[in-house]
Amino acid sequence: MAAAVFCGAVMVDAAETLRFEGRPGSKVKIDGTSTVHDWTVESQLLSGFMEFDAGFAKDPAAAAKSAKAEVTIMVRSLKSGKSGMDKVMQEAMKMPQHPKIEYKLLQLTPKSGGAEGTSAQFDATGALTVAGVTRTNTMPVTIEKVGETKAKVSGATNLKMTDFGIKPPSPAFLPIKTGDDVKIAFQWQTEQVAAAAAKTAETK
Amino acid sequence: MKTKRKKRQEAEFNRRDFLKGGSLATMMAMLGGVELRAQVPEAKPEEQEPGALVKCGVIGLGARGREIVSTLTRLKEAEISAVCDKYPPFLKRGGNLAPKAKAVGDYRPILDDKEIKAVVIATPTHQHKEIVKDAFQAGKHVYCEAPLAHTIEDARAIAQAARAANRQVFQAGLQMRSDPQRHFLLPFIRAGALGNIAMARAQWHKKQSWRAAAPTPEREREMNWRLRNSSSTGIMGEIGIHQLDMCGLFLNTRPVSVTGFGSLIHWNDGRDVPDTVQTIVEYPGGVRLIYHATLVNSFDSDYEMYYGSDAAVMLRENKAWMFKEVDSPLLGWEVYARKDTFYKETGIALVANATKLAAQGEKPVEEAPFTNTPLYYALEAFITNVNEISTAVEDFSASFNINDKPALEKYLADIRLQPHATWMDGYGATVVAIKANEAVVKGQKITFQKEWFELG
Repeated sequence: MAAAVFCGAVMVDAAETLRFEGRPGSKVKIDGTSTVHDWTVESQLLSGFMEFDAGFAKDPAAAAKSAKAEVTIMVRSLKSGKSGMDKVMQEAMKMPQHPKIEYKLLQLTPKSGGAEGTSAQFDATGALTVAGVTRTNTMPVTIEKVGETKAKVSGATNLKMTDFGIKPPSPAFLPIKTGDDVKIAFQWQTEQVAAAAAKTAETK
Repeated sequence: MKTKRKKRQEAEFNRRDFLKGGSLATMMAMLGGVELRAQVPEAKPEEQEPGALVKCGVIGLGARGREIVSTLTRLKEAEISAVCDKYPPFLKRGGNLAPKAKAVGDYRPILDDKEIKAVVIATPTHQHKEIVKDAFQAGKHVYCEAPLAHTIEDARAIAQAARAANRQVFQAGLQMRSDPQRHFLLPFIRAGALGNIAMARAQWHKKQSWRAAAPTPEREREMNWRLRNSSSTGIMGEIGIHQLDMCGLFLNTRPVSVTGFGSLIHWNDGRDVPDTVQTIVEYPGGVRLIYHATLVNSFDSDYEMYYGSDAAVMLRENKAWMFKEVDSPLLGWEVYARKDTFYKETGIALVANATKLAAQGEKPVEEAPFTNTPLYYALEAFITNVNEISTAVEDFSASFNINDKPALEKYLADIRLQPHATWMDGYGATVVAIKANEAVVKGQKITFQKEWFELG
């Protein structure tokens, strides 16, 4: 069962919420194409949280509906290794007005897995906001328990720049044109926090 | 605009010309100085969008400090907010170079100004330590001139402070570490293009007294700190440090020992530092650098030479040449490269930088592509790195717990920075220079101890 992944992490009473927060060691990678060569940008900064009902362990199908997750990526932290290209990308993503890429989970549907010690698969539907434009996206994600208190969420999805109002950049002075299609893949490291810590974090 | 046809004709002509003289060209390439030069970047720096403006303070406005001020004024991403010198005439002269900057006699107000993110320290060497430590304490990014200090203890304290300040940039003023020409040559030499490197030689010749005139005896004493062994690291420390550092970088190793000689030949004005020095710096494997520097004669200025079984390389300002041995393997590209004449070592000027350009039928570049000073590139790297590190810290702080020190350090270690002399580079070079000066002053051979390079 999908929910077994979340069993026994931290002792909680049934009414409480399990909260996980983003931790260093995460990674998001965006792969794209161009008329000259393929390109990749990466960031290690995936912040945010996910929350589940404690009852998730018993009845995942019912409780998955209450699952919440929000993830933020600072656009500025996405690096290609070439400062010129970073600037082109930041401009295309309208960074000054929209410094963050934001994701908000709308629905989590358990698919398979989740027996003790293994990973669980879900379909995640969420609202993805890039460059100020929000689109609904559904992608398969895997949640894997790491140690006693940590969970790793990984997934990948294909997007089109133009869906988010981004014109595929074609940098000045160079005969390069980027392709519209990009692939985003991520590994999000999270750690369970106590309810009290979660409260503090929210009031920040 | 040339027509395509004409271009093609020219390309044909060049190719035919080359084929005709092929064997001669090859022979000349073997004899002559082949100019080694870095490729011009595709997008020129001025075409790139500037990043955030970094407000800077410059502390110490002697000749070096003023050179730093005028260089910073040319950098798009730098703004000089304050300049500082406790000697009013220097403060005035430095202030004139940056009219918008506030001019202060004490560096404290600069450190207290929250708007100022970075400071460049160009005070006399023996005053660096306190200022660097105070600047880190105040949260500033620090560029500190080389040598870092006049004693190993002070240099170590500076390096330790830099290591501890993990959210701040520290750059040692070894500007040649940021020079693109040298970064172009580094893999070339490290890859063994010279064959077995037998030896190296470097020199710095300049007729100048180093003595500055001052209105009062006290001020005279303060200004001429370089002329006293108690506060100066001599020619080896103030000048030789750069060339010794480059030699260690190219040979990719630290020296084993240094033997020094020094004399006061010409400037007998009461100083106790030599005006002429020779040192022999030994590296592992019996490779030695012979270094000489003098304030007495300026003939042949300054340059570095590396001698290998296949070729010698000369580095001079922002240029370099290779002199090949007749029995060395043909690299190919050198046939097309421009040649210059050095007395009996003659080369032939074919087409400058022609490897790719001739084939494309385009006009070759005549002038050296990197015409800025190493100091310009060093300060440019510093300002860029300050932007990179401070935005990375901000972004990390917005995403995770900023007090998670190991995670932050790991994150910052992955940030790509412009080539620069780190606190480790600065410390190592300072230790070598201080000991080289000691060898000169004592007329001794000094064997380097591993622990001198350790920070503890």
